[in-house]
Amino acid sequence: MNPKPINWKAGATRHVIYALIAIAVIVPLLKKWPSSFTATPGPRRVYNFIEKLEPGSHVLLAFDYSPDSKAELYPMSVSLLDHCFRKGLIPIAMTHWPQGVGMARRAFDEVAAKHDKVAGEDYAVLGFKPGYVNLIINMGENLKSAFPEDLDGRSTETMPALEGVETLRDIDLAVDLAAGATVDAWVMYGSDRYDFPLVAAPTAVATPRCYPFVQSKQLVGLLGGLRGAADYEQILNVPGKATELMPAQTVTHLLLIVLILGANVRFIVRKLRGTEDA
Amino acid sequence: MSEQTSNTATSPTRRRGEVIVLVVLVAAFAVANYFVLTRKAEDGSRLELDRNMVGIIIAAGLTLIMYSFLYRDNPLFKVAENLYVGVAMGYEAILVWRQALRPQVVDPLFRPVSWHAFWYELAWRTVPIVLGLLLLTRLSKKHGWMSRYSYALFIGWAAGLAIFTETDSKILTQLQATLAPLQQGISDGPWFTHIVMPILGTIALLAGTVTVLFYFFFSVKHERSAGAISRVGIWFLMVAFGAMFGYTVMGRLALLIDRLDFLMADWLKISG
Repeated sequence: MNPKPINWKAGATRHVIYALIAIAVIVPLLKKWPSSFTATPGPRRVYNFIEKLEPGSHVLLAFDYSPDSKAELYPMSVSLLDHCFRKGLIPIAMTHWPQGVGMARRAFDEVAAKHDKVAGEDYAVLGFKPGYVNLIINMGENLKSAFPEDLDGRSTETMPALEGVETLRDIDLAVDLAAGATVDAWVMYGSDRYDFPLVAAPTAVATPRCYPFVQSKQLVGLLGGLRGAADYEQILNVPGKATELMPAQTVTHLLLIVLILGANVRFIVRKLRGTEDA
Repeated sequence: MSEQTSNTATSPTRRRGEVIVLVVLVAAFAVANYFVLTRKAEDGSRLELDRNMVGIIIAAGLTLIMYSFLYRDNPLFKVAENLYVGVAMGYEAILVWRQALRPQVVDPLFRPVSWHAFWYELAWRTVPIVLGLLLLTRLSKKHGWMSRYSYALFIGWAAGLAIFTETDSKILTQLQATLAPLQQGISDGPWFTHIVMPILGTIALLAGTVTVLFYFFFSVKHERSAGAISRVGIWFLMVAFGAMFGYTVMGRLALLIDRLDFLMADWLKISG
Protein backbone atom coordinates (compact mmCIF):
# COMPACT_ATOMS: atom_id res chain seq x y z
CA MET A 1 0.00 0.00 0.00
CA ASN A 2 1.44 3.36 -1.00
CA PRO A 3 1.65 5.97 1.75
CA LYS A 4 -0.74 8.90 1.35
CA PRO A 5 0.88 12.08 -0.01
CA ILE A 6 2.16 14.55 2.56
CA ASN A 7 0.11 17.73 2.94
CA TRP A 8 3.10 20.10 2.78
CA LYS A 9 0.94 23.23 2.45
CA ALA A 10 -1.00 22.67 5.67
CA GLY A 11 2.19 21.70 7.52
CA ALA A 12 4.06 24.72 6.21
CA THR A 13 1.30 27.15 7.31
CA ARG A 14 1.35 25.64 10.79
CA HIS A 15 5.13 25.90 11.06
CA VAL A 16 5.13 29.49 9.77
CA ILE A 17 2.64 30.42 12.53
CA TYR A 18 4.87 28.70 15.14
CA ALA A 19 7.87 30.64 13.83
CA LEU A 20 5.98 33.97 13.90
CA ILE A 21 4.84 33.36 17.49
CA ALA A 22 8.39 32.43 18.53
CA ILE A 23 9.69 35.67 17.01
CA ALA A 24 6.89 37.65 18.70
CA VAL A 25 7.99 36.25 22.07
CA ILE A 26 11.77 36.33 21.63
CA VAL A 27 12.15 39.88 20.26
CA PRO A 28 10.41 41.70 23.20
CA LEU A 29 12.31 39.52 25.68
CA LEU A 30 15.67 40.25 24.03
CA LYS A 31 15.00 43.96 23.55
CA LYS A 32 13.58 44.30 27.08
CA TRP A 33 10.73 46.54 25.97
CA PRO A 34 9.21 48.51 28.85
CA SER A 35 5.75 47.61 30.21
CA SER A 36 3.05 50.24 30.34
CA PHE A 37 -0.45 49.36 31.53
CA THR A 38 -3.06 50.37 34.09
CA ALA A 39 -4.06 47.90 36.81
CA THR A 40 -7.57 46.45 36.44
CA PRO A 41 -10.18 46.78 39.26
CA GLY A 42 -10.06 43.10 40.37
CA PRO A 43 -6.46 43.12 41.65
CA ARG A 44 -7.00 46.57 43.16
CA ARG A 45 -9.92 45.22 45.22
CA VAL A 46 -7.68 42.41 46.51
CA TYR A 47 -4.95 44.90 47.39
CA ASN A 48 -7.40 47.19 49.22
CA PHE A 49 -8.83 44.27 51.19
CA ILE A 50 -5.37 43.11 52.33
CA GLU A 51 -4.41 46.70 53.19
CA LYS A 52 -7.38 46.89 55.59
CA LEU A 53 -6.33 43.75 57.53
CA GLU A 54 -4.78 44.29 60.95
CA PRO A 55 -1.16 43.16 61.52
CA GLY A 56 -1.20 39.60 62.89
CA SER A 57 -4.22 38.62 60.78
CA HIS A 58 -4.06 35.16 59.23
CA VAL A 59 -4.08 34.77 55.44
CA LEU A 60 -4.50 31.26 54.08
CA LEU A 61 -2.77 30.68 50.73
CA ALA A 62 -3.81 27.53 48.87
CA PHE A 63 -1.03 26.66 46.40
CA ASP A 64 -3.34 24.57 44.21
CA TYR A 65 -1.02 24.41 41.21
CA SER A 66 1.93 22.49 39.85
CA PRO A 67 5.09 23.65 38.03
CA ASP A 68 3.31 23.64 34.66
CA SER A 69 1.29 26.68 35.82
CA LYS A 70 4.27 28.37 37.44
CA ALA A 71 4.46 31.02 34.70
CA GLU A 72 1.19 32.62 35.78
CA LEU A 73 0.76 31.68 39.43
CA TYR A 74 4.26 31.85 40.88
CA PRO A 75 4.60 35.64 40.32
CA MET A 76 1.20 36.05 42.03
CA SER A 77 2.33 33.91 44.98
CA VAL A 78 5.47 36.00 45.40
CA SER A 79 3.58 39.33 45.20
CA LEU A 80 0.88 38.22 47.64
CA LEU A 81 3.44 36.89 50.11
CA ASP A 82 5.46 40.07 49.81
CA HIS A 83 2.35 42.13 50.55
CA CYS A 84 1.44 39.93 53.55
CA PHE A 85 4.92 40.16 55.09
CA ARG A 86 5.11 43.91 54.50
CA LYS A 87 1.79 44.33 56.35
CA GLY A 88 2.84 42.04 59.22
CA LEU A 89 0.20 39.43 58.33
CA ILE A 90 0.70 35.71 58.99
CA PRO A 91 0.50 33.61 55.81
CA ILE A 92 -0.51 29.96 56.14
CA ALA A 93 0.17 27.77 53.12
CA MET A 94 -1.43 24.47 52.15
CA THR A 95 -2.19 22.69 48.91
CA HIS A 96 -4.53 20.14 47.36
CA TRP A 97 -1.92 19.41 44.69
CA PRO A 98 1.13 17.32 45.67
CA GLN A 99 3.38 19.35 43.39
CA GLY A 100 2.11 22.56 44.98
CA VAL A 101 4.34 21.76 47.97
CA GLY A 102 7.47 22.58 45.98
CA MET A 103 5.90 25.78 44.67
CA ALA A 104 4.95 26.90 48.19
CA ARG A 105 8.36 26.01 49.62
CA ARG A 106 10.15 27.94 46.89
CA ALA A 107 7.95 31.04 47.21
CA PHE A 108 8.36 31.15 51.00
CA ASP A 109 12.13 30.55 50.81
CA GLU A 110 12.42 33.47 48.41
CA VAL A 111 10.15 36.02 50.11
CA ALA A 112 10.48 35.11 53.81
CA ALA A 113 14.28 35.44 53.63
CA LYS A 114 13.87 38.95 52.21
CA HIS A 115 11.71 39.99 55.19
CA ASP A 116 13.64 37.99 57.86
CA LYS A 117 10.58 35.89 58.70
CA VAL A 118 10.83 32.62 60.59
CA ALA A 119 8.89 29.45 59.75
CA GLY A 120 6.46 28.42 62.48
CA GLU A 121 6.52 31.88 64.08
CA ASP A 122 5.78 34.36 61.30
CA TYR A 123 4.29 31.91 58.82
CA ALA A 124 3.28 28.27 58.47
CA VAL A 125 3.69 25.92 55.52
CA LEU A 126 1.29 23.07 56.24
CA GLY A 127 1.93 21.22 52.99
CA PHE A 128 -0.20 18.74 51.07
CA LYS A 129 -3.04 16.50 52.15
CA PRO A 130 -5.25 14.37 49.88
CA GLY A 131 -9.02 14.65 50.19
CA TYR A 132 -9.98 17.75 48.19
CA VAL A 133 -13.52 18.66 49.39
CA ASN A 134 -13.14 16.47 52.49
CA LEU A 135 -9.96 18.33 53.37
CA ILE A 136 -11.70 21.72 53.15
CA ILE A 137 -14.50 20.46 55.40
CA ASN A 138 -11.94 18.95 57.78
CA MET A 139 -10.13 22.31 57.95
CA GLY A 140 -13.46 24.04 58.47
CA GLU A 141 -14.16 21.86 61.51
CA ASN A 142 -10.65 21.57 62.92
CA LEU A 143 -7.68 22.91 61.01
CA LYS A 144 -5.06 21.43 63.31
CA SER A 145 -6.51 17.93 63.07
CA ALA A 146 -6.41 18.24 59.28
CA PHE A 147 -2.73 19.17 59.52
CA PRO A 148 -1.26 17.79 62.79
CA GLU A 149 2.23 18.69 61.52
CA ASP A 150 3.63 21.27 59.14
CA LEU A 151 5.85 20.39 56.19
CA ASP A 152 8.95 20.22 58.41
CA GLY A 153 7.29 18.04 61.05
CA ARG A 154 6.55 20.78 63.65
CA SER A 155 3.38 20.20 65.65
CA THR A 156 0.66 22.64 64.61
CA GLU A 157 -0.95 22.39 68.08
CA THR A 158 1.77 24.52 69.68
CA MET A 159 2.85 26.54 66.65
CA PRO A 160 2.93 30.32 67.38
CA ALA A 161 1.95 31.17 63.79
CA LEU A 162 -1.34 29.30 64.25
CA GLU A 163 -2.24 30.85 67.58
CA GLY A 164 -5.93 31.73 67.53
CA VAL A 165 -6.63 29.63 64.44
CA GLU A 166 -8.74 26.58 65.19
CA THR A 167 -10.96 26.39 62.10
CA LEU A 168 -11.39 28.15 58.76
CA ARG A 169 -13.75 30.58 60.52
CA ASP A 170 -10.68 32.09 62.22
CA ILE A 171 -9.01 32.87 58.88
CA ASP A 172 -9.14 36.57 57.92
CA LEU A 173 -8.64 35.95 54.21
CA ALA A 174 -8.09 32.93 52.00
CA VAL A 175 -6.51 33.07 48.55
CA ASP A 176 -6.77 30.13 46.15
CA LEU A 177 -3.91 30.10 43.65
CA ALA A 178 -5.66 27.71 41.32
CA ALA A 179 -4.67 25.88 38.16
CA GLY A 180 -7.82 23.73 38.16
CA ALA A 181 -11.35 23.78 39.49
CA THR A 182 -10.43 24.19 43.17
CA VAL A 183 -11.97 27.69 43.29
CA ASP A 184 -15.45 26.13 42.99
CA ALA A 185 -14.71 23.81 45.93
CA TRP A 186 -13.29 26.63 48.06
CA VAL A 187 -16.40 28.74 47.38
CA MET A 188 -18.97 25.98 47.93
CA TYR A 189 -17.40 23.98 50.75
CA GLY A 190 -15.20 26.72 52.19
CA SER A 191 -16.22 30.37 52.21
CA ASP A 192 -20.00 29.84 51.79
CA ARG A 193 -20.02 27.24 54.55
CA TYR A 194 -17.51 28.64 57.05
CA ASP A 195 -17.96 32.32 56.27
CA PHE A 196 -14.50 33.72 55.50
CA PRO A 197 -13.46 36.15 52.72
CA LEU A 198 -12.06 34.41 49.65
CA VAL A 199 -9.96 35.64 46.74
CA ALA A 200 -9.39 33.62 43.57
CA ALA A 201 -6.04 33.79 41.79
CA PRO A 202 -6.50 31.33 38.93
CA THR A 203 -4.66 30.73 35.67
CA ALA A 204 -6.11 32.52 32.65
CA VAL A 205 -7.75 29.28 31.51
CA ALA A 206 -9.62 28.94 34.82
CA THR A 207 -10.52 32.65 35.11
CA PRO A 208 -13.84 32.82 33.16
CA ARG A 209 -15.52 30.31 35.48
CA CYS A 210 -14.67 32.54 38.47
CA TYR A 211 -16.44 35.70 37.22
CA PRO A 212 -19.94 34.63 38.36
CA PHE A 213 -18.58 34.33 41.92
CA VAL A 214 -17.27 37.91 41.77
CA GLN A 215 -20.64 39.19 40.55
CA SER A 216 -22.42 37.38 43.40
CA LYS A 217 -19.80 38.66 45.88
CA GLN A 218 -18.83 35.10 46.85
CA LEU A 219 -15.30 36.23 45.96
CA VAL A 220 -13.72 39.40 47.33
CA GLY A 221 -11.58 39.81 44.21
CA LEU A 222 -9.97 38.07 41.28
CA LEU A 223 -6.40 37.98 39.95
CA GLY A 224 -6.59 36.34 36.54
CA GLY A 225 -3.55 34.89 34.80
CA LEU A 226 -0.28 36.61 34.01
CA ARG A 227 -2.06 39.95 33.57
CA GLY A 228 -3.51 39.69 37.10
CA ALA A 229 -0.03 38.99 38.45
CA ALA A 230 1.43 41.96 36.56
CA ASP A 231 -1.40 44.21 37.82
CA TYR A 232 -0.66 43.21 41.41
CA GLU A 233 3.07 43.84 40.96
CA GLN A 234 2.26 47.29 39.59
CA ILE A 235 -0.12 48.12 42.46
CA LEU A 236 2.57 47.04 44.95
CA ASN A 237 5.10 49.05 42.95
CA VAL A 238 7.44 46.05 42.85
CA PRO A 239 7.93 45.11 39.18
CA GLY A 240 8.68 41.40 38.94
CA LYS A 241 8.60 38.51 36.51
CA ALA A 242 4.99 39.09 35.40
CA THR A 243 5.65 42.75 34.53
CA GLU A 244 8.81 41.70 32.67
CA LEU A 245 6.86 39.22 30.52
CA MET A 246 3.93 41.53 29.68
CA PRO A 247 5.44 43.11 26.51
CA ALA A 248 5.97 39.63 25.00
CA GLN A 249 2.37 38.76 25.82
CA THR A 250 1.09 42.00 24.28
CA VAL A 251 3.00 41.41 21.03
CA THR A 252 1.85 37.77 20.73
CA HIS A 253 -1.76 38.84 21.36
CA LEU A 254 -1.48 41.48 18.62
CA LEU A 255 0.00 38.88 16.27
CA LEU A 256 -2.85 36.46 16.99
CA ILE A 257 -5.45 39.19 16.38
CA VAL A 258 -3.80 39.97 13.03
CA LEU A 259 -3.70 36.25 12.12
CA ILE A 260 -7.37 35.74 13.07
CA LEU A 261 -8.47 38.84 11.12
CA GLY A 262 -6.32 37.82 8.14
CA ALA A 263 -7.74 34.29 8.09
CA ASN A 264 -11.30 35.64 8.27
CA VAL A 265 -10.72 38.17 5.49
CA ARG A 266 -9.21 35.41 3.33
CA PHE A 267 -12.21 33.18 4.10
CA ILE A 268 -14.73 35.90 3.18
CA VAL A 269 -12.89 36.84 -0.04
CA ARG A 270 -12.68 33.19 -1.13
CA LYS A 271 -16.35 32.68 -0.28
CA LEU A 272 -17.35 35.71 -2.34
CA ARG A 273 -15.31 34.34 -5.25
CA GLY A 274 -17.03 30.99 -4.79
CA THR A 275 -13.78 29.07 -4.11
CA GLU A 276 -14.54 28.24 -0.44
CA ASP A 277 -17.21 25.93 0.93
CA ALA A 278 -19.67 27.59 3.35
CA MET B 1 -6.63 13.79 9.81
CA SER B 2 -4.45 15.01 6.95
CA GLU B 3 -1.99 16.34 9.57
CA GLN B 4 -1.77 12.92 11.18
CA THR B 5 -1.33 11.31 7.78
CA SER B 6 1.51 13.66 6.95
CA ASN B 7 3.13 12.82 10.29
CA THR B 8 2.98 9.07 9.88
CA ALA B 9 3.91 8.84 6.22
CA THR B 10 7.71 8.92 6.19
CA SER B 11 9.98 7.73 3.43
CA PRO B 12 13.46 6.27 4.23
CA THR B 13 15.07 9.38 2.69
CA ARG B 14 13.06 11.68 4.90
CA ARG B 15 13.80 9.58 7.97
CA ARG B 16 17.53 9.73 7.21
CA GLY B 17 17.25 13.51 6.86
CA GLU B 18 15.50 13.73 10.21
CA VAL B 19 18.23 11.68 11.93
CA ILE B 20 20.86 14.06 10.52
CA VAL B 21 18.86 17.09 11.75
CA LEU B 22 18.57 15.45 15.19
CA VAL B 23 22.33 14.86 15.40
CA VAL B 24 22.96 18.48 14.36
CA LEU B 25 20.52 19.75 17.03
CA VAL B 26 22.14 17.63 19.76
CA ALA B 27 25.54 18.96 18.71
CA ALA B 28 24.16 22.53 18.74
CA PHE B 29 22.82 21.97 22.27
CA ALA B 30 26.26 20.73 23.41
CA VAL B 31 28.00 23.70 21.77
CA ALA B 32 25.51 26.14 23.36
CA ASN B 33 26.26 24.65 26.78
CA TYR B 34 30.00 24.90 26.12
CA PHE B 35 29.68 28.62 25.31
CA VAL B 36 27.42 29.28 28.30
CA LEU B 37 29.94 27.68 30.65
CA THR B 38 33.08 29.19 29.14
CA ARG B 39 31.79 32.71 28.46
CA LYS B 40 33.17 35.37 30.79
CA ALA B 41 30.76 37.56 32.74
CA GLU B 42 31.20 41.36 32.96
CA ASP B 43 33.31 40.96 36.12
CA GLY B 44 35.58 38.46 34.37
CA SER B 45 34.23 35.41 36.24
CA ARG B 46 32.96 32.23 34.60
CA LEU B 47 29.90 30.17 35.45
CA GLU B 48 30.54 27.13 37.59
CA LEU B 49 29.06 23.80 36.69
CA ASP B 50 27.42 23.44 40.11
CA ARG B 51 24.23 21.58 41.07
CA ASN B 52 22.05 24.53 40.09
CA MET B 53 23.62 24.88 36.64
CA VAL B 54 23.36 21.13 35.97
CA GLY B 55 19.64 21.37 36.84
CA ILE B 56 19.20 24.31 34.44
CA ILE B 57 20.96 22.45 31.61
CA ILE B 58 18.79 19.35 32.14
CA ALA B 59 15.64 21.51 32.27
CA ALA B 60 16.68 23.36 29.10
CA GLY B 61 17.31 20.08 27.28
CA LEU B 62 13.98 18.64 28.37
CA THR B 63 12.17 21.86 27.35
CA LEU B 64 13.65 21.68 23.85
CA ILE B 65 12.78 17.99 23.60
CA MET B 66 9.16 18.73 24.59
CA TYR B 67 8.94 21.46 21.94
CA SER B 68 10.23 18.99 19.33
CA PHE B 69 6.64 17.70 19.32
CA LEU B 70 5.72 20.83 17.35
CA TYR B 71 7.49 19.18 14.42
CA ARG B 72 6.09 15.72 15.12
CA ASP B 73 6.00 12.91 17.67
CA ASN B 74 9.43 11.35 18.21
CA PRO B 75 11.24 8.93 20.58
CA LEU B 76 13.00 11.71 22.53
CA PHE B 77 9.65 13.35 23.24
CA LYS B 78 8.29 10.00 24.47
CA VAL B 79 11.30 9.58 26.80
CA ALA B 80 10.83 13.08 28.26
CA GLU B 81 7.08 12.57 28.62
CA ASN B 82 7.51 9.28 30.51
CA LEU B 83 10.28 10.75 32.63
CA TYR B 84 7.92 13.55 33.70
CA VAL B 85 5.13 11.11 34.60
CA GLY B 86 7.54 8.88 36.51
CA VAL B 87 9.12 11.71 38.49
CA ALA B 88 5.71 13.22 39.30
CA MET B 89 4.33 9.87 40.47
CA GLY B 90 7.37 9.15 42.65
CA TYR B 91 7.21 12.62 44.18
CA GLU B 92 3.49 12.28 44.90
CA ALA B 93 3.91 8.82 46.44
CA ILE B 94 6.55 10.14 48.85
CA LEU B 95 4.38 13.13 49.78
CA VAL B 96 1.30 11.00 50.42
CA TRP B 97 3.40 8.79 52.69
CA ARG B 98 5.07 11.69 54.52
CA GLN B 99 2.05 13.96 54.89
CA ALA B 100 -0.92 11.60 55.09
CA LEU B 101 -0.19 7.94 55.78
CA ARG B 102 2.69 8.29 58.24
CA PRO B 103 1.31 11.06 60.51
CA GLN B 104 -2.31 9.92 60.41
CA VAL B 105 -2.17 6.13 60.20
CA VAL B 106 1.26 4.69 60.92
CA ASP B 107 2.59 6.91 63.74
CA PRO B 108 -0.61 6.96 65.88
CA LEU B 109 -0.97 3.16 65.71
CA PHE B 110 2.61 1.92 65.64
CA ARG B 111 4.29 4.62 67.72
CA PRO B 112 1.64 5.58 70.31
CA VAL B 113 2.67 7.55 73.41
CA SER B 114 0.67 5.19 75.67
CA TRP B 115 -1.73 2.23 75.53
CA HIS B 116 -4.59 4.59 76.26
CA ALA B 117 -3.57 6.73 73.26
CA PHE B 118 -3.30 3.60 71.10
CA TRP B 119 -6.88 2.45 71.87
CA TYR B 120 -8.20 6.00 71.40
CA GLU B 121 -6.50 6.40 67.99
CA LEU B 122 -7.55 2.90 66.93
CA ALA B 123 -11.19 3.61 67.78
CA TRP B 124 -11.19 6.73 65.59
CA ARG B 125 -9.29 5.19 62.70
CA THR B 126 -10.63 1.63 62.41
CA VAL B 127 -13.57 2.42 60.09
CA PRO B 128 -11.61 4.69 57.68
CA ILE B 129 -8.70 2.23 57.55
CA VAL B 130 -11.03 -0.72 56.84
CA LEU B 131 -12.84 1.28 54.13
CA GLY B 132 -9.48 2.21 52.60
CA LEU B 133 -8.26 -1.38 52.67
CA LEU B 134 -11.50 -2.56 51.06
CA LEU B 135 -10.68 -0.34 48.07
CA LEU B 136 -7.51 -2.38 47.56
CA THR B 137 -9.59 -5.52 47.02
CA ARG B 138 -10.18 -4.15 43.48
CA LEU B 139 -6.81 -5.71 42.70
CA SER B 140 -8.37 -9.17 43.12
CA LYS B 141 -11.02 -10.54 40.72
CA LYS B 142 -12.38 -12.82 43.42
CA HIS B 143 -12.67 -10.27 46.24
CA GLY B 144 -13.17 -7.09 44.18
CA TRP B 145 -16.86 -6.91 45.11
CA MET B 146 -15.90 -5.90 48.65
CA SER B 147 -14.71 -2.49 47.40
CA ARG B 148 -18.32 -1.63 46.48
CA TYR B 149 -19.12 -0.94 50.14
CA SER B 150 -16.48 1.79 50.27
CA TYR B 151 -17.58 3.26 46.95
CA ALA B 152 -21.24 3.19 47.99
CA LEU B 153 -20.44 5.11 51.15
CA PHE B 154 -18.28 7.69 49.34
CA ILE B 155 -20.80 8.26 46.55
CA GLY B 156 -23.74 8.50 48.93
CA TRP B 157 -21.89 10.94 51.16
CA ALA B 158 -20.63 13.09 48.27
CA ALA B 159 -24.01 13.19 46.53
CA GLY B 160 -25.83 14.14 49.72
CA LEU B 161 -23.37 16.92 50.42
CA ALA B 162 -23.30 18.20 46.84
CA ILE B 163 -27.10 18.45 46.45
CA PHE B 164 -27.42 21.01 49.20
CA THR B 165 -24.13 22.83 48.56
CA GLU B 166 -24.46 23.09 44.78
CA THR B 167 -28.05 24.33 45.05
CA ASP B 168 -27.14 26.95 47.60
CA SER B 169 -23.84 28.24 46.15
CA LYS B 170 -24.34 27.82 42.43
CA ILE B 171 -28.07 28.31 41.94
CA LEU B 172 -29.71 30.32 44.71
CA THR B 173 -26.83 32.73 45.35
CA GLN B 174 -26.22 33.20 41.61
CA LEU B 175 -29.91 33.78 40.99
CA GLN B 176 -29.99 36.36 43.75
CA ALA B 177 -27.02 38.19 42.17
CA THR B 178 -28.67 38.10 38.73
CA LEU B 179 -31.86 39.66 40.06
CA ALA B 180 -30.05 42.50 41.84
CA PRO B 181 -31.67 45.94 41.48
CA LEU B 182 -30.58 48.02 38.48
CA GLN B 183 -28.93 50.65 40.63
CA GLN B 184 -26.56 48.07 42.18
CA GLY B 185 -22.97 48.89 41.37
CA ILE B 186 -23.60 52.62 40.88
CA SER B 187 -20.99 54.66 42.68
CA ASP B 188 -19.64 58.20 42.82
CA GLY B 189 -17.61 59.14 39.76
CA PRO B 190 -17.92 59.99 36.06
CA TRP B 191 -21.56 59.41 34.97
CA PHE B 192 -20.76 57.12 32.04
CA THR B 193 -18.44 54.67 33.80
CA HIS B 194 -20.07 54.82 37.24
CA ILE B 195 -23.79 55.13 36.37
CA VAL B 196 -24.53 54.14 32.75
CA MET B 197 -22.14 51.18 32.54
CA PRO B 198 -23.27 49.44 35.78
CA ILE B 199 -26.95 49.76 34.71
CA LEU B 200 -26.16 48.42 31.21
CA GLY B 201 -24.14 45.62 32.81
CA THR B 202 -27.05 44.56 35.01
CA ILE B 203 -29.46 44.64 32.06
CA ALA B 204 -27.05 42.58 29.90
CA LEU B 205 -26.61 40.05 32.71
CA LEU B 206 -30.37 39.64 33.12
CA ALA B 207 -30.97 39.46 29.35
CA GLY B 208 -28.15 36.94 28.92
CA THR B 209 -29.40 34.68 31.71
CA VAL B 210 -33.01 34.68 30.47
CA THR B 211 -32.23 34.20 26.77
CA VAL B 212 -29.63 31.45 27.34
CA LEU B 213 -32.02 29.62 29.68
CA PHE B 214 -34.69 29.98 26.98
CA TYR B 215 -32.32 28.49 24.38
CA PHE B 216 -32.06 25.33 26.51
CA PHE B 217 -35.85 25.22 27.01
CA PHE B 218 -36.87 22.55 24.50
CA SER B 219 -40.57 22.13 25.40
CA VAL B 220 -41.49 24.99 23.03
CA LYS B 221 -40.71 25.00 19.33
CA HIS B 222 -38.15 27.77 18.64
CA GLU B 223 -40.18 29.71 16.06
CA ARG B 224 -41.17 33.38 15.67
CA SER B 225 -40.68 35.29 18.96
CA ALA B 226 -39.43 32.14 20.74
CA GLY B 227 -36.91 31.63 17.93
CA ALA B 228 -35.75 35.25 18.16
CA ILE B 229 -35.20 35.01 21.91
CA SER B 230 -33.25 31.75 21.61
CA ARG B 231 -31.16 33.30 18.80
CA VAL B 232 -30.19 36.11 21.18
CA GLY B 233 -29.29 33.37 23.68
CA ILE B 234 -26.98 31.79 21.07
CA TRP B 235 -25.25 35.15 20.62
CA PHE B 236 -24.65 35.42 24.36
CA LEU B 237 -23.29 31.85 24.37
CA MET B 238 -20.95 32.66 21.46
CA VAL B 239 -19.62 35.72 23.27
CA ALA B 240 -19.03 33.60 26.40
CA PHE B 241 -17.23 30.89 24.39
CA GLY B 242 -15.13 33.56 22.69
CA ALA B 243 -14.12 35.01 26.06
CA MET B 244 -13.22 31.54 27.34
CA PHE B 245 -11.18 30.79 24.21
CA GLY B 246 -9.40 34.15 24.51
CA TYR B 247 -8.46 33.40 28.12
CA THR B 248 -7.26 29.91 27.14
CA VAL B 249 -5.02 31.33 24.40
CA MET B 250 -3.72 33.92 26.88
CA GLY B 251 -2.88 31.19 29.40
CA ARG B 252 -1.13 28.94 26.89
CA LEU B 253 0.90 31.84 25.52
CA ALA B 254 1.96 32.78 29.05
CA LEU B 255 3.39 29.26 29.45
CA LEU B 256 5.29 29.56 26.17
CA ILE B 257 6.62 33.01 27.09
CA ASP B 258 7.82 31.72 30.47
CA ARG B 259 9.63 28.76 28.91
CA LEU B 260 11.35 30.89 26.27
CA ASP B 261 12.28 33.39 28.99
CA PHE B 262 13.80 30.51 30.97
CA LEU B 263 15.82 29.37 27.96
CA MET B 264 17.11 32.87 27.22
CA ALA B 265 17.59 34.25 30.74
CA ASP B 266 18.42 31.26 32.95
CA TRP B 267 20.16 28.98 30.45
CA LEU B 268 21.72 31.06 27.68
CA LYS B 269 21.97 34.21 29.84
CA ILE B 270 21.23 36.49 26.87
CA SER B 271 18.27 38.36 28.42
CA GLY B 272 16.70 39.09 31.81
